[in-house]
Amino acid sequence: MSDQILLNTEKDIPYQPISLGSMEWNKTGTWRYLRPRFDNKVSPCNEGCPAGQDIEAAMVLIGKGRVLEAWDLFKEENPFPGVCGRVCYHPCESSCNRAEFDEAVSINALERFMADTAFKHGRRVGLKREKKKEKVAIIGSGPAGLTCAYHLARLGYGATVFEALPVLGGMLRVGIPEYRLPKKVLEAEIDQILEMGVNTEINTRFGENLLQKDLKEYAAVFLALGNHVSKRLGIPGEDGDWAMSGVEFLRKISLGKEVPLGKRVVIIGGGNTAIDTARTAQRLGAKPSILYRRTREEMPAFPAEIHEAEEEGIDISFLVSPVRLFLEDGVKKLECVKNRLGPPDEDGRRRPVEVKGSNFLLEVDQVFTAIGEDADLTALPKKIGIENHAIPTDERGATKQEGVFAGGDIIQQPHTVVHAIGSGKRAAIFIDCFLQNKKWERVFDAVRIGERGSLSMRRYLLDEKEWETKSTKTVRLQDLNLDYFEPKKRKRPTKAPMAKRQGTFEEVNIGFPEETAVAEAQRCFNCGVCNLCDNCYIFCPDVAIRKENGNNVIDYDHCKGCGICVEECPRDAMIMEEEGR
Amino acid sequence: MKKIMVGNHAVSWGVMLSRAEVISAYPITPQTSIVEELSVLCADGRLKAKFIPVESEHSAMACVIGASAAGVRTFTATSSQGLALMHEMLHWASGSRLPIVMANVNRSLGSPFNIWGEQSDSLAQRDTGWLQIYCESNQEVLDTVIQAFKIAEKVLLPVMVVLDAFVLSHTAEPVDIPDGNIVGQFLPAYKPQFRIDPQDPRTFACFAPPDFFMEFRYKMQKAMLESQAVCKEVDGQFGEIFGRGYGLVEAYRCEGADLILMTAGAITSTARVAVDALREKGRKVGLLKLRLFRPFPKDEVLEVIRHAEKVAVVDRSLSLGLGGIFAHELRAAMCNEPVRPPIYSYITGLGGRDTTLQTINEIVYQTYERSEPDEQSIWIGMRG
Amino acid sequence: MYEMKELMYSGHLACAGCGATIAMRYALKALGEQTAVVIPACCWSIINGPFPYTALKVPLIHTAFETGASTASGVKAGLEARGDTETTVAAWVGDGGTFDIGIQALSGAAERNDDIIYFCYDNEAYMNTGIQRSSATPFGTWTTTTPSNHPKNQPKKNMMEIMAAHRIPYAATCSVAFPDDMMGKVRKAKSIRGTKFIHIYSPCPTGWKAPSSMAIKIARLAVHSKIFPLYEVEYGDRFNINIAPKNIPVMEYLRMQGRFNHLTEDQIRGIQETVDREWERLLKKALD
Repeated sequence: MSDQILLNTEKDIPYQPISLGSMEWNKTGTWRYLRPRFDNKVSPCNEGCPAGQDIEAAMVLIGKGRVLEAWDLFKEENPFPGVCGRVCYHPCESSCNRAEFDEAVSINALERFMADTAFKHGRRVGLKREKKKEKVAIIGSGPAGLTCAYHLARLGYGATVFEALPVLGGMLRVGIPEYRLPKKVLEAEIDQILEMGVNTEINTRFGENLLQKDLKEYAAVFLALGNHVSKRLGIPGEDGDWAMSGVEFLRKISLGKEVPLGKRVVIIGGGNTAIDTARTAQRLGAKPSILYRRTREEMPAFPAEIHEAEEEGIDISFLVSPVRLFLEDGVKKLECVKNRLGPPDEDGRRRPVEVKGSNFLLEVDQVFTAIGEDADLTALPKKIGIENHAIPTDERGATKQEGVFAGGDIIQQPHTVVHAIGSGKRAAIFIDCFLQNKKWERVFDAVRIGERGSLSMRRYLLDEKEWETKSTKTVRLQDLNLDYFEPKKRKRPTKAPMAKRQGTFEEVNIGFPEETAVAEAQRCFNCGVCNLCDNCYIFCPDVAIRKENGNNVIDYDHCKGCGICVEECPRDAMIMEEEGR
Repeated sequence: MKKIMVGNHAVSWGVMLSRAEVISAYPITPQTSIVEELSVLCADGRLKAKFIPVESEHSAMACVIGASAAGVRTFTATSSQGLALMHEMLHWASGSRLPIVMANVNRSLGSPFNIWGEQSDSLAQRDTGWLQIYCESNQEVLDTVIQAFKIAEKVLLPVMVVLDAFVLSHTAEPVDIPDGNIVGQFLPAYKPQFRIDPQDPRTFACFAPPDFFMEFRYKMQKAMLESQAVCKEVDGQFGEIFGRGYGLVEAYRCEGADLILMTAGAITSTARVAVDALREKGRKVGLLKLRLFRPFPKDEVLEVIRHAEKVAVVDRSLSLGLGGIFAHELRAAMCNEPVRPPIYSYITGLGGRDTTLQTINEIVYQTYERSEPDEQSIWIGMRG
Repeated sequence: MYEMKELMYSGHLACAGCGATIAMRYALKALGEQTAVVIPACCWSIINGPFPYTALKVPLIHTAFETGASTASGVKAGLEARGDTETTVAAWVGDGGTFDIGIQALSGAAERNDDIIYFCYDNEAYMNTGIQRSSATPFGTWTTTTPSNHPKNQPKKNMMEIMAAHRIPYAATCSVAFPDDMMGKVRKAKSIRGTKFIHIYSPCPTGWKAPSSMAIKIARLAVHSKIFPLYEVEYGDRFNINIAPKNIPVMEYLRMQGRFNHLTEDQIRGIQETVDREWERLLKKALD
């Protein structure tokens, strides 16, 4: 900065009124009464992701072609990007501010693209911490259990996963069909978890060949048993040999077993299991139809899944309930009754009411029930306390028994893969707190994303000193300066041609190529996070925002507090505050 | 080499010999042929200057200010209305300390509208910080233009070379054209200390608040006062090299004079003839030619008139409410002198009214007649 | 954009949020160091700071109010006379010094096709002397000499048409909300010999009674509401519109500024009609 020039006598002054120096010495910063500050806030996609992934940062990286680094970032939080990129119900896209503006960013497809690219390059994850002496037992190798094991291993603990089935993966392996989630994708990601040094024991069922006393050598336990017991219809004939639960069917098929089908296959239910059962049956040669007791609006299955099923020619009948299954003259029959919608249920959906006298008969070869699943919690100790078919837990995922945590479908939370993953990570964090005697209340504020989001392992792993006081404000569309954004059509992934969707289990969703992915990631608004668009630098009338090592830095000696930078920031990554005096 | 040329062309040739680099002017009678001749000299290639034909005199001065600040030798010319229009920029030029040379052909200022000779126009600008030199002959005009550049570039103040409308500007006289190379040695290339240059970026003509403005004016005043010595020095050098010196003032037959006339400009020639005739008749009359008017060469003037009994100042100018301007300048210069002659003020020849031998004689007669000067200027040559 | 050198210092005396300084910053970035700027009386005479300081890294000469174009012509002639044909000479003048008192000098320079770039940064009033009306003030505006109960009764003078009529090689409008457009035009002007006129829309939060943070937003709205379209004219003949406006109603633009608070609905409708009509005329010229 230049100095003030002192001209004490007339002789010091030049004969011509010319300048001798610059105005830089003049600290116009003293004029201000408001001051700007760079203030990264929370992107709504990050807050909306139950697995706590830094989606916004990943979009930036993919948009620059740095796909593998984006994958690294996702793997800090979630070991299953390839799985999620195929089966997640993407609440991130519903939270995306772009959805209100034109169309949401195809985050889900980009997650899949990242994972596929990493797989192609053989990219692996690095370990985080030095080994600790404690061991943790994880009951169940579904998404919750494996995620918990992954994070505990990265924290340095010895993790052992006990699995009742002969294969790892839980519902991912035996509940979701191949055409939605190819086994080789799942197995590749499970392998990366095992590479962390996680031990596994398959064919080990808690309550049978694994008892409570066997777990005494473990410093903590994570229960992630999952919901594998199909709910009963409660109608006569449902235990017959031509009636099976959808989950049992899908499990058998995924383990390579044969199931007699016939042609006329009827699936009762409206959730993803029902849809998966129908589409699997179709591929095996049957002509399935789905019966659902309410209407399409109330169907709990993901809309995309329903749509794909209909594309594949699967028939769905609404407002139909089963009455009884029986044999008549050697023909398997299913008696049904039509419904109408009455007043709403406890869960807000309108309850189906039988229309008296509307019964009709269907001739069937096989009936599948898929009206929901419950957990088998009979082997758990009474102390845990079961409520509503679920284990009660606090916000850490801790049960009433000290040292025992729970997650996944067996606790009170939405039954989705991504919620399971989130609960597995959460348990890992608080098992670490439990074992290291850390104050867990502080941890929540430091690692929660926004005010209502999930937890970030990356933040948890930072030095406590670095648990920076970041803004917890989530940026909404009205916070953005839309002058800088133009509507642009969303890129959607392609699907396999219909020929590949009949009779084969080839993956239906194909994804998209790199240029498309990069272009789509560039549609991300980067809500709340500076991406060096340089608007603040360009528009400053006082040259008070300068470049230092590529970053923008505010020169508070000269900033007059006009506020143009904050106003013109497209993504609300700055804030104007009162000047403290 | 001798040439017959009108006063305006003498200006042009003086400018050409001085190798001015940027010229900007707007036509006004009786200045027009200065610029016309300069256009011919440029077109012939005898003068390598850029000529900017601006759309007003105000722009003409702004233009040469810009060019001078860029570090080149500049020239403009104007008269009466044009000079008045330039007034704002005359201040700007001198305050910026730019060595601009301008020829002003003395003409009256309307209204009423009049195109003939009078000295009020240049004298009305006497506060603007420009040096003013009044010429008596076309030769003097050419020589003074060359001297003016040298003076201006030394003292860093602009210089106005003044000549009478029509009597000099449009009247042909023999003029000795000095050799260009020798002029080049007398007046080398202009090298300013500061100039507009991206290699040394500065702001010129800065905004100067109260805590600096006075110092700049003080410096200008000092330069103005010191310029008197410079004018003398340059005139002396010119005289040595070219054989023609004019001095800051000229005393003509003032030895033992009891009445001294004071004139400036072409009227001096008429006065010389009158003085000769009067001396023939035994009158002890002398003539003081005032050449340098700004800064007022008080000491040199006093030297000449100190022992006279009366001084009669012939003014072809009028400051309304005050009177003849040279007379009042002289009165003001003399006011604290212990020994000073009474100063009689006469106004004549306004608006181009002819000033003849008769006019001078009348003035001499009136001066002898009156025992003391009137406070107000006396008007000579009026109707009825 | 940050690769282009900063040729303006911090610490200058402009009001917070001044559009004229943003405009100067872009102009100098596009012109580069080999530039000399001529500044007659206007806000920038003060913004630059007093003796002995300056706020620019290029030579600058202050001059009298009406002499922007003529002094610039002189500087250019002087530089060329001493052998410098590279330095760009720019006159940097406010709307008062361009539309009113300086129009004669500008017309003279344009007629002679003197090789200067004449920038008019237009804040639509005599801001430096305290927000008095100029002929660049739009119809219906409050200023200190056109109070709210008697706002300016005449339309804004169309300076671009006047410059087009001079058939100069290049004239263009710019807005501080469109930096790339402006700098491209300045660079283009620099490459042309002759008189170039750049009319920059320069919001003045102080004089327009708007928050200091709104300068860019207002400048953008002005373009998209067709109040100040961005276009170029070559030789008075070829019109080229640079940014297609989004046809935002002028109401949105007007209500951001306190200087229009007193306008009635009828007046606003009248303004919208005028703006639409002028736009149609411009469009027709561009299509020819």
